Amino acid sequence: MRRTRSEVVGRAVRTAIRNPGRTILTMLGLAIGVGAFLAMVSFGTGARSSVMEQFEILGTRVVYIWGNMGRRDFGGSARPLTDADVEALLRDSMTIERVVPRVTEVQNVKSAYGRYPTKVTGTMPDFVHIREWPMLIGGMFDETDVTQRAKVAVIGTTIARELFGHRDPVGQTITVGSNLPLRIIGVLVSKGEQTTGEDMDEIILIPATTYQAFLGMPMGYHELMVQVRDLGLLETAMVEAIPIMRRSHRLADIEEDDFRMASPAQAAELARFVSTILTGLLIGIAAVSLLVGGIGVMNIQLVSVAERTQEIGIRSAIGASPTQIMVQFLAEAVVLSFTGSLAGVGLGWLAATLVAQAMSWSGTLSLLTMAGAAAFGTSVGVAFGYLPAKRAAQLEPIDALRHE
Amino acid sequence: MSGFSIVDARGICKEFPNMTSPVLDDVSIDVQSGEIVALMGPSGSGKSTLMNILGCLDGPTRGSYSLGGRDVSTLTPRERAWVRLHYIGFVFQSFHLIADHTVLENVTLPLYYAGLDRDEREARALELIERVGLGDRLGHRPAQLSGGEKQRVAIARAVSGKPRLLLADEPTGALDTKTGNEVMELLLELHDSRALTLIIVTHDPEVAEFCHRQIFLRDGKIISDGSQHAAHA
Repeated sequence: MRRTRSEVVGRAVRTAIRNPGRTILTMLGLAIGVGAFLAMVSFGTGARSSVMEQFEILGTRVVYIWGNMGRRDFGGSARPLTDADVEALLRDSMTIERVVPRVTEVQNVKSAYGRYPTKVTGTMPDFVHIREWPMLIGGMFDETDVTQRAKVAVIGTTIARELFGHRDPVGQTITVGSNLPLRIIGVLVSKGEQTTGEDMDEIILIPATTYQAFLGMPMGYHELMVQVRDLGLLETAMVEAIPIMRRSHRLADIEEDDFRMASPAQAAELARFVSTILTGLLIGIAAVSLLVGGIGVMNIQLVSVAERTQEIGIRSAIGASPTQIMVQFLAEAVVLSFTGSLAGVGLGWLAATLVAQAMSWSGTLSLLTMAGAAAFGTSVGVAFGYLPAKRAAQLEPIDALRHE
Repeated sequence: MSGFSIVDARGICKEFPNMTSPVLDDVSIDVQSGEIVALMGPSGSGKSTLMNILGCLDGPTRGSYSLGGRDVSTLTPRERAWVRLHYIGFVFQSFHLIADHTVLENVTLPLYYAGLDRDEREARALELIERVGLGDRLGHRPAQLSGGEKQRVAIARAVSGKPRLLLADEPTGALDTKTGNEVMELLLELHDSRALTLIIVTHDPEVAEFCHRQIFLRDGKIISDGSQHAAHA
């Protein structure tokens, strides 16, 4: 046989082009299936990496401790988080590197140019280290500012825009509450919005001592950010911190903890687990749609065999062997499945890109994924093209010829 | 132009499971190489079934059939396809061209199945298409051709594989008298130039006039088999 494979494919392509309606119908199912598959893979990985980024904003190697002060469900017995807790943690733990307290309340904030009620945070210089948050201009306040209760502030870009417009805020003054003038010494780089919609750049940082002296903190600190020496020590640090905190709060054995503790890394782990399950689910659904696409190929090919029964009879009468007829229909299934899958890759890529842009996710579809989806789609199509091809090959020539 | 038996069918019976009486009942037929035979009879006489068996489209229930000296009565579908490809050409009443193929593609189809390469296929087909007078219609689709032209394409296709036996089932049945006569002329010309054996199924006495020999069937049996003066003797 000198007849080459390329000629078989060429004939299949010609048949596909000459019967555009049938061709498009056959391709459509697979194109949608492969497209959905790719879109789901991309959404899954995109959403997951986006979730991971959100947790990284909160700092890696960090454990958060919250007080239960003011929580009604806890009764009135909870003690506030204080500098004594900070000292106890730093002194008694082997695993903790830094502890940064934070108190945050909404205050009225004014500048010469505007007024903006917003959250003001009293904290320590290491805040920007734990949160891995660089400065855009100026600098963070230092230990001296903390000791001297300096009237200084570091602000986020949203605050800078709201209160100073396009002017350079560094060196300018804002007034917090009724009468606390603060000199701005730095602006933090923008971190944008969290998935929750919270604007990370709507932030004013002042020394915790200044906050305590002029704004007051009857409830103590809201939160202690605890940075451990190594990511691997996170669990140990959390176990270690509980008795230290209990001692520091002088809790009796029968009393419950009056603080709560969690780490973004742990939450991230959970989120990763959940999103892996969700991604798997999405891909499962997409695989079903791919399967449905394959069944679509089979149905159209079966209809096509029925429609072309007489043609098969003619070919058979002329002398085409059952194998040659089967190869013809299989080749058509290959061509249609391959083209349909390619179209699906295009669709999936488009959907992935559009969604990634809308959600500001990073690029998510690898060439390998796309090639894999195309190959998978093609094999599904060919597998489902086998039955119709076999049916065509098994037609009796006289019956097929008589078919109108 | 006779010599050896190309068709030697003996005691052919064909029964179908859902029918009480056999469609062919002990039919024997011997056709010499180069003969032109008309197979005649009313509808239901079994002549189409006989043609299917002689054309290796179907096998007999009983009886033996040897084609060109080779026993073909008990072949598998695949072997029958091979015999059709290399020994037999078909011409049908309703042409049976492949609708989405051009004239050239239709004529080259048997050669494609025979495994010839493209150049050889097209060279052979072009010569034949010229011969049947459609050299200017190579790229046309069947729908763009008249009935007579379609049948010429079908005849070119039937002989492109250089068959020994050409079976024509009512070849003029869908054509007017003049076109029908032209088609018969073409078949006879090809018979003369290509050493073909022709079996023509027809109930048109005018067509039968062209043939060396007429075989009549009724109710699955041959009721007469004889030569008569042929118009083209």
